[in-house]
Amino acid sequence: MKYFVSVAVSIVLASTFCFGFWVVLDHDYNWSAIAPYTGNLISGWGVTLGISLAAMVLSVIVGTVLTIGQLSAHAVPRWLSRAYVELIRGTPLLTQILIGYYLIADAVNWDSRFGVGLVVLSCFSGAYLSEIFRGGVESISKSQWLSARAIGLTEGQTYRFVVIPQAIRRVLPASAGQFANLIKDSSLLFVISVHEFTMQAREANANTYATFEAYLPLILGYFILTFPISLLSRHLEERFSYEH
Amino acid sequence: MSIEVRELHQHYGATRAVDGVSLALPDDVQVLALIGPSGGGKSTFLRLIGGIETPTSGSIYVDGKKLPTGEEELLKYRKKNGFLFQAFNLFPHLTALENIVLPLVQVHGWSGETAEERAREAVKRFHLEAHLEKRPGQLSGGQQQRIALARAMAHEPALLLLDEPTSALDPEMKAGVLDLIEELCDAGQRIVLSTHEMGFARQSADHVVFLADGQAIEEGSAERVFESPGDPKVRQFLDKVMKW
Repeated sequence: MKYFVSVAVSIVLASTFCFGFWVVLDHDYNWSAIAPYTGNLISGWGVTLGISLAAMVLSVIVGTVLTIGQLSAHAVPRWLSRAYVELIRGTPLLTQILIGYYLIADAVNWDSRFGVGLVVLSCFSGAYLSEIFRGGVESISKSQWLSARAIGLTEGQTYRFVVIPQAIRRVLPASAGQFANLIKDSSLLFVISVHEFTMQAREANANTYATFEAYLPLILGYFILTFPISLLSRHLEERFSYEH
Repeated sequence: MSIEVRELHQHYGATRAVDGVSLALPDDVQVLALIGPSGGGKSTFLRLIGGIETPTSGSIYVDGKKLPTGEEELLKYRKKNGFLFQAFNLFPHLTALENIVLPLVQVHGWSGETAEERAREAVKRFHLEAHLEKRPGQLSGGQQQRIALARAMAHEPALLLLDEPTSALDPEMKAGVLDLIEELCDAGQRIVLSTHEMGFARQSADHVVFLADGQAIEEGSAERVFESPGDPKVRQFLDKVMKW
């Protein structure tokens, strides 16, 4: 049965790849049409890189604060963090971007598309990260807490020396996945006209009708950003591995 | 050591783990063994004496001083003692050496150098020098317990509390750990331990408390309890476990 399934999976994947390559290779390309937009695409890629890096840092901060809130002994921060996470996870990012820009940012007279995009993306990703972080902290067994208590560590010291170092290793793979999502999700910022990578490709396509030539670079461009993250995550995982 | 317990109760919901224990040990007791059937309240009683849990009601006096109930005061009390659980004492992300050094530096405020020196001494005493740089995952269960014992002993605890220290080990490793504990007993260390090793309790402890159903059914000198137990429950238990 196992053998049959793996053969079937291999056949399906291989034919999908073949079909994909055939579609891509068979197309009659007109790269010269898109050539004038090369500069725009590169600058769009740069914007995507910049906003993603900044949003990663910010979302880790948002995620950490929410995790602290969710793990708090007091009900108010716990419920507020919980409500925030549920609200963000329960609504589409596209809606959040639109509401963030046209309602909230407008209400406080903030007109930076890049800035609003960065904040919305970080708030969105932070909610997911906090769920990952919380899971990591809660996965540390009771016996570790008991041991820490027995040797006289305070609660703060237990987090610092026992729980967090172990939790970090456990949340690395899922966090890396979330970071890769964040990069890809940044493509939705075109709806508020942030001149990121996807927006530039759409514009190039709209002006030239060279759809393939405009959109194919997106695959390569996004992959260059997300692949190192998955490599780094695997490397860190190995470095932190101690559970044999 | 003097240990006195008055009307001690520890309830978890409907479970009465310790259900009204009162006893006063003679002052010259150096090694106290808690024996009795599993689920009889030995571990809970030990944790209460060690200040790891606070009782539902009742009071505990160690060396004439009442155990505090506030977390901060209790932490101070715990720092003076050493505690060893059945298993999973060590922190898996730290090496054996780091496991011993962590509480010396963070809890007892030693310098890193002094702590490391002491850790090396402690480990030498237990013949574990070869394993200092290994993580718990690379050590056998018996080696882990011995490292954990070295950690519990490194700050020269006033009282060493051992909660079934050999229950999770195979017979050969058991012997290794029991040898070490015996050595500590001979060196004059004050010890309270819960154990299923009747031979060991009989030989090394000078006083025994038999706990069953959360109550202290019998107590007395080890010799007296093992030679001529007064309570039929104790006699039955000892007959059963000493048979093989």
